Amino acid sequence: MNSPLNRSRWTPYLWLMPSIILIAVFVIFPILIVFKLSFSEISKAGVIGGYVGFQNYKDAVNLPAFKTVMLNTFWWVVSVVGVSTVLGFVIAMVFNQKFRGRKIARAILVFPWATSLVIQASVWNYIIKYEYGSLNSVLLNLGIIKQAINWRSSYQIEFIWECGVGIFVTVPFVAFCVLSGLQSIDDSYYEAATVDGAGFWDKLFRITLPMVRPSLTVSTVLNIIYVFNSFPIVYTMTKGAPANKTDTMITYLYMLSFYERKKGPATALSVIGFLILCACAGLYMITVMRKEEAEQ
Amino acid sequence: MKNPDLVGPNRRALLFVILGIALSLILLSMPLYSFDACVYTKKSPNTFVGDEKYRSVRAEVEQVADGYRAQGMACEIGEDVLERVNSKGETTSLITFTVTERMSRSPLSLLGKGFAASKVLALMLGLLALALAAELAGCVGGMDLVQFRLDTRRAALRNLAALSLLLALLLVPVFILMNNYAFSRQIGLYTAGLLEEGKEALYTRMDALLFEGRMGAEIEKALGGLTASHSGLLWMLMPAMLVSLLAAVQLRYGSIQSSAMKAALYFFVVVVCLVTLYPYYVMTVTAFRSNAETLDMYFLHLFPTKWIWSNLSDIIHRGVPRYLLNSLLVAGGATVLAMLCGIPAAFAMARMKFWGKKAFLGFVIMSQMFSPVVLLIGISQLMNTLHLNDSVLGLMLINAAFNQAFAIWLLRGTFVSISPEMEQAAMIDGCGTVGALTRVLIPMAAPGIVTALIFVFINAWNEYTIATVLISTASNRPITVGITQFSSFNMIEWQYLFAASLVATIPVVLLFMSIEKHLTSGLTSGGVKG
Repeated sequence: MNSPLNRSRWTPYLWLMPSIILIAVFVIFPILIVFKLSFSEISKAGVIGGYVGFQNYKDAVNLPAFKTVMLNTFWWVVSVVGVSTVLGFVIAMVFNQKFRGRKIARAILVFPWATSLVIQASVWNYIIKYEYGSLNSVLLNLGIIKQAINWRSSYQIEFIWECGVGIFVTVPFVAFCVLSGLQSIDDSYYEAATVDGAGFWDKLFRITLPMVRPSLTVSTVLNIIYVFNSFPIVYTMTKGAPANKTDTMITYLYMLSFYERKKGPATALSVIGFLILCACAGLYMITVMRKEEAEQ
Repeated sequence: MKNPDLVGPNRRALLFVILGIALSLILLSMPLYSFDACVYTKKSPNTFVGDEKYRSVRAEVEQVADGYRAQGMACEIGEDVLERVNSKGETTSLITFTVTERMSRSPLSLLGKGFAASKVLALMLGLLALALAAELAGCVGGMDLVQFRLDTRRAALRNLAALSLLLALLLVPVFILMNNYAFSRQIGLYTAGLLEEGKEALYTRMDALLFEGRMGAEIEKALGGLTASHSGLLWMLMPAMLVSLLAAVQLRYGSIQSSAMKAALYFFVVVVCLVTLYPYYVMTVTAFRSNAETLDMYFLHLFPTKWIWSNLSDIIHRGVPRYLLNSLLVAGGATVLAMLCGIPAAFAMARMKFWGKKAFLGFVIMSQMFSPVVLLIGISQLMNTLHLNDSVLGLMLINAAFNQAFAIWLLRGTFVSISPEMEQAAMIDGCGTVGALTRVLIPMAAPGIVTALIFVFINAWNEYTIATVLISTASNRPITVGITQFSSFNMIEWQYLFAASLVATIPVVLLFMSIEKHLTSGLTSGGVKG
C-alpha cells in the first residue's frame, strides 16, 4: 500500500504508543509482579523477602481448602457456562421469531447484562432469605405454598443458588451473541431447505448450528473467562462460608491475601489461575484469528 | 367456497368444543374443596394411650361426636400425643382429642357468596356460555365452508368463541390461586391475629359457605383450626378448556398447528420476561418499603403498604451522592482515557501496514482475557508503589487499561467497515493524518465509537472487585462499593441498599439498551463486519 499515511516507518508505532503504555503499565506489570511474588517469601505483614523457589506453590496445594475450592471452581464454571449456553441458545432461537412486542422483550432481556453483579447478587440474597425473603412472600401470597420454605438450608444448596444467579446474569450475553449470529443467516437457506423437505431438526443441525457456531464459540470462551473471574456473586451471597466450602478460586484468593494474610500461597494461586486463563485465551485467540483469516 | 368433505371434521370439532365446556361444568360442580373444621377439642394431661383415663376421655369425646353426628355433620375424631420428660425425670404425656367436621364444597357453591374468586368464577362461566353460544351461531349452516373463506359474520363469531375460551382458560389458575390464598393463608393470618383488614367480611362469607350462616359470632373459633385443601382434579379444568380452545381454533383456522406454536412462543417469551424482571420488581418494591416491612417475617404484603419516598432522600445523607460522583469520575475518566488511547491504536490497526501488526492484535486479544481480579495482588502492589492506592485516579487508570482491549476491538471493526477513500481524498486536499481522522473518519464512525464509549463506561461503572481492594477511604468509594455499607454484619438496611441500587442501575440499563444491537454484532463478528 502506497498511501500517504505511511510517511515514516515509525508512524504506526507512534499511534499505538498510548495504548501500549496503558496496557503495559497496568496490565502487564501486575502480571510480572504476581509472578515475582509467587517465588518470593512474603511475611504475614506483607514484607517481601528473597527467592524461595516453589515453596508458595507447595503451600497453596497443601492448604486444607485447596481441593474443595478447585472442585467448586470447576463446577461453578462448567455449570454456569454450560447451562447458560443452552438456555441462551434456546431463548435466542425464540426471540429471533417474529412476534408482537419483540422489541420490548429484547429490551427486558438486556437488564441482567447491564446491571452490576453486586447489586444483582444482593437482590437475590434478599429474595431467598428464609425469614422474610421475597420468594417465600410471593409464593405464599399467590397461594402456591402453604408454609415458608428455607431456600438455603445447607451450603450445597447455597452453592447451587450461587450457580443459579451466575446463570441468570450470563444468559442474556449468550442470547444476544447467538441472536446476532442468527440474524446474519439469510432466510433463503431455510426456504431452500423447506423446499427440499427438511424438518425442524434438520434445519437446526444442518443450517442454524453451523451458522451460529462462530458466535457461540466466542460467547462460550468469553464466558468461561468471565465466569472464572466472577467475584461478586459468591462474595455477596456466602463469602465462601462455611469454612471456604462455597468459595471459588477467585474469592478464595481474595480471602487468603486480604483476610487471612497468607499472601504467599495467594500469589501462587493467582499464577495458577492466570495460567488457566491463558490456556482459555489461547484457545480463543486461535479461533478468532482463524476466522479473521477466513474472512479476509 | 364450499367443501362437503369438511362437514365431518367440523362436526367433530364442534362436538369437542361442547364436550370440553361440559366437562368443565361437571368439574366445577364436583365437591373438590374439602375443609376440616375443628369443632371440639379436649386436652387430657397425664394420660397414656390405652390407660384408664384415656378410655374414659375417649368415650366422652365420642359422645360429643355422636351429638354432632345426630345434627347431620360428618365428624371424625383425631388424637395427638405429646410426650415429654419432666424435671423429675418422669415421662408425661398429653393427649389432645379433636372432633373435626369434614365438609366438601364444589367450586360452583362459591357463586354469589361474595368471595373475591366468586367474581372470577362468574366471569369464567359467562365466558364459557358466550363461547358456546358464539360457536353455535357461527357454525349454523356453515359446516361445509372452507375456514379461510368464511364470511365476516361467521369469522367474527368463531373468533369471539376462541377468544372467550382462551380467557376462560387463563382465569382457571387465577381462580385456584385466589381461593388458595383466601382459604389457607388469609384465614390463617386472621385467626392468628396478624391481619385485621377485611376480616369480618371474609368471616361472614366463610360462615355462609361452610355453616349456612349459623355460626354467627362463634365463627372465629370455628375457623381457628380450619384446614382447607383442594383436589388435584381441579386443575383438570385447564386441559378440559384447552380441548375446547383447540377445537375452536380449528373451526376458525382449519389447522391448529401454527396457532398452537404461536401460543407456545408467547408463553415462553412471557415466562422469560417475568423471570428476568422479578429481581427488578423486588429491588424497586423493597426500595420504597419501611424498614419494618422489609423484615416482615409474616410475608404480608407484595407491595409496600405505604410507599416511603423518604428512603430516597435518606440515602442522600448517607453519602450516596458522593459515591455516584466517584463512580461518574471513575467511569467517565476511564472512558475518556480508553478512547484517547484506543482510537489512534484502532486507527493504526485498521489503516496502516506495519511489522508486528498481527502480534499487537494478539496482544490486545490476550489482554482482553485478563480480568483484573486474578491479578488483584499485583495490582494493589503496583498501586502502592505508584502511590495511587485508595484514589479515584488509580481506579480510573485500571479501568481504562483493562477495557482498552474491547475498545480497540470494537473501534477497529468499525473503522475497517468504512472505506478509506474519503480520508485519502481529505488528505490529498491538504488535511494531515490527524485532520483526516478527526474531521472525516470519527464523524463517520460515530455509531461504533458511541457503542464502545458506552460499553467501557458501563463496565467501569459496574466494576466492584478492584474498587473494594483499592479503596479504603469512605469518601473515595464508587457506588458499587458504597452500597455495601448498608449491609453491615449485624444489620442490613435493605430499603437503603435497594434504593441506592435502583439509582445506580436505571441509567446504565437505559444506556445499555441503546447500544445492545451494535455491541453484540461488534463483539461476535470479530469486529470485521462492524
